[in-house]
Amino acid sequence: MSDRKRIVNVAARIRKERLSGIRLKIMLPILLLFLPGMAWGFSDPNIVLPGGHQPDTAMEVLFYASLGVVFGATMCAVLMAFDGVSKDRASGMLEVRLAQPMPRQHQATALILGHAQSILLPVYALLFASVLVVRFRMGEWPGVTEVVVYALSTGLVVFWYTLFALLASTSAREQGTAIAFGIGVWFFFTFLWALVTTMVAYASGVAVGEANDPAWVALEGMLDLLSPNGVYHHLLETQLPSVDRGVAAWQSWLAALLWTVLPWWALHRRMERLVP
Amino acid sequence: MSNIEVRLSPRLMRGFPLGQCMAEAVLSFRSVQHRHALPAPTLFKPWAKRAGPGIVGLSLDLYEGCVLGLIGPNGAGKTTLLRMMAGVLPVQKGKVESRFDTDVWQPVDDLRQWVGHMPEQVRWQGRTTVHEALSQLGEMRGTSETKIERLLALVGLRSRRDDALDNLSQGMRQRLSIAAALLGSPKVLLLDEPFNGLDPVAAEAFAALVRTLASKGVSVVISSHMVAQLEGLIDRIGLLHRGQLLDEGPLEDVERRLGLEGRYTITGEGAADISSFAPDEDVLERHQDDDGWSLTVKRDPKSVLSAAVDADVNITSWAPVRPNLVEWLCAATGMSVDDISLEVASSAMLPMRTVEVGEDE
Repeated sequence: MSDRKRIVNVAARIRKERLSGIRLKIMLPILLLFLPGMAWGFSDPNIVLPGGHQPDTAMEVLFYASLGVVFGATMCAVLMAFDGVSKDRASGMLEVRLAQPMPRQHQATALILGHAQSILLPVYALLFASVLVVRFRMGEWPGVTEVVVYALSTGLVVFWYTLFALLASTSAREQGTAIAFGIGVWFFFTFLWALVTTMVAYASGVAVGEANDPAWVALEGMLDLLSPNGVYHHLLETQLPSVDRGVAAWQSWLAALLWTVLPWWALHRRMERLVP
Repeated sequence: MSNIEVRLSPRLMRGFPLGQCMAEAVLSFRSVQHRHALPAPTLFKPWAKRAGPGIVGLSLDLYEGCVLGLIGPNGAGKTTLLRMMAGVLPVQKGKVESRFDTDVWQPVDDLRQWVGHMPEQVRWQGRTTVHEALSQLGEMRGTSETKIERLLALVGLRSRRDDALDNLSQGMRQRLSIAAALLGSPKVLLLDEPFNGLDPVAAEAFAALVRTLASKGVSVVISSHMVAQLEGLIDRIGLLHRGQLLDEGPLEDVERRLGLEGRYTITGEGAADISSFAPDEDVLERHQDDDGWSLTVKRDPKSVLSAAVDADVNITSWAPVRPNLVEWLCAATGMSVDDISLEVASSAMLPMRTVEVGEDE
């Protein structure tokens, strides 16, 4: 059996175990509410957003509905993967797995793929449902490129949080720490990042919260590259010509690449040195 | 009466019956070391670590078809050594060589392909079935479905193949652990405290399985702090204490080297003048009450038994006495029981009597 096939098979077993678990059944209503639910709400023809704005294209609706991804899907990714390693460590199974003649790098890859697939499959199914909802409510399909970028960037942000949770799981000696770390990271980037942005702006002498101040918009745009959620929105904004926050598309994609490669590398390195 | 000749078979004299040990070394560890990293934070290096206890300067050969009993107190380094052998912990220093496939010794990069490892206390849990759990591990080794079914039959879990892990008893979980260790048809099988949680029936079945595997040429290493559990099972014994191998070899050789050989307990009924057939200098321990008497002697039992028969005392049994863990360790280290028991709590490392290794990190 080739190495690649072995990785795929091990990942498939993890995916199957996770998909058939009770945890996903608990999370499905949350995902339903946050993905197609948000698409339904934002595609309401009578909706008026703060500032009197009304989304008028399908992509714009999907952009606002991405809030559901940031709040719901990423949290579900963390909840799905937080015990990916720590549970096995607590039960002694980690030692059994590490004693198998499958290179640890391959085990790490299978672990990542298995967990990422187990959350991405339901997320993609519901994203597809969201597009159908938007079409049903607005009578308009988003463009093919828009859908591809939306799906790709959503997949990436979910993937990043899966990596963070697994990374926390390799470091934690018990599951409470693993979930605290995973949720902590999610909470920080989802809720506290605005505070970080505000503090940096204040320290830089930029007027805080002035939506029409180019300095504030540029600073916020640049700082968002340091947050996975921010990069996610930058990627979506590449399909919204009306939005310009001073960050070029290539910068957004480069940041996305770094957010993918660095945790991936860190997790593989951790697995190499992992002690049961 | 004096013409009665007492004959003791060599097997009974040894007490630990030998398996079919082929005595061909297949795996060799030379001065290997793994010391655990302990946090040692300083003001400017909060993440700094230092080398702590572990395995230091250990040399050991594993023989084809031999069962090695690795004994030592808690914290001696048994689990660390087994994890090194299993490839779970890296060998930080030293050399590991094998000749599994060839006649020449070759350095080993990855032990895991040759070794099956059964860690102490794996808590198999969840709604996954026995078969699925084993298949998942088999996937990592490239084990065929037929082999998995055969293993389930071998460990007596075929009838439970579709049961959820949550529904298994402790004994069944141990059986599943050994099935997992046997997945890759290993040349070396490492069993860490395998008798924990097993009832006597399961323990006997387990021992029989180990003997069968050894007879097929598998080199088996069993760690335990309960020496009695290894009786009748092991061919060689290794004494591990504070990360160092104090002595290792065939059981009778180690016993002889440590002066623990040739001890027998003789029991009898009724009153007896023990000193009439067992000189005081040969008696290590004696006990006498209304029900009878017993004594432990350290000499050839034939002469004591002959003298006892001559003295017309009623002997009910005689049997060799195996040293227990404390006796082994006291003999190997030259330390008292109190000193050894205090040492177990300490993480400091001192040179042992038979191994001279200093702190080098």
